[in-house]
Amino acid sequence: MAPARSRRSRQSFETWSWFFMRVSGLVLVFLALLHFAITHIVNDVVETDAAFVAERWDNPLWRLFDWTLLALALLHGLNGLRWSIDDYVRSPARRAWVKAVVYTTSGVLFAYGTFSIVTFT
Amino acid sequence: MSAGTEVAASTRSTATSTIYRGRSGQWAFVGHRVSGVLVFLFLLLHIVDVSLVNLDPQLYDEVHQLYGNVVLRLFEVGLLFALVFHALNGLRIVAVDFFPGAVRRERRLLGAVVFLTLAVSIPSGYVILLPFIQGTLR
Repeated sequence: MAPARSRRSRQSFETWSWFFMRVSGLVLVFLALLHFAITHIVNDVVETDAAFVAERWDNPLWRLFDWTLLALALLHGLNGLRWSIDDYVRSPARRAWVKAVVYTTSGVLFAYGTFSIVTFT
Repeated sequence: MSAGTEVAASTRSTATSTIYRGRSGQWAFVGHRVSGVLVFLFLLLHIVDVSLVNLDPQLYDEVHQLYGNVVLRLFEVGLLFALVFHALNGLRIVAVDFFPGAVRRERRLLGAVVFLTLAVSIPSGYVILLPFIQGTLR
């Protein structure tokens, strides 16, 4: 039996996780759909070449937009995947492995994506 | 009381089946999970392809031209359906969580989600496929 304090902190983590999904989801509706509309509807996908990216990222606000989208989408997706893994991967050892792979991959790609957005010239 | 009986009947599952029969709500749940995982997997791929712009802009352009071919355009239309459904169904979940009145209209809300997903995605999908439809695809 887990001590009462750690149980409460677990509950509070899950409450925050639930709340985060609602708030990040609401923000992502705008960020993700706007991003898709700009790169697929307003402009054709073949027009979004390196010159297009350079012109857009010339404005730091678009970098901030893209980074916010990257961070929120990854965290929102990762938390959703965590819930799914808990639902379907029942063996504790396997669950730990699957989570380790998913978290590591996401963490590395988050760092890589952040690096790309920040250092692009 | 009758509403409670109906819920109990609709969530009954047999001993051999582990799938709970929640009807529309269950399908919304499955759709939300599947669309979420698909969008997440695309996001991972998308980080890699966009980051090429830093390493080698020319390679970025070459890889990016691939997104213009018809197979990947169809893939983008699929991504759009998943994204729009996930966004709208997510709004439905938020509504049901925060507004008690929305729970009673849960089925009608799901109907609106499906209708709006199609209403947004079909015309937008047409725009994405337009270069192929008009035969101007390089």
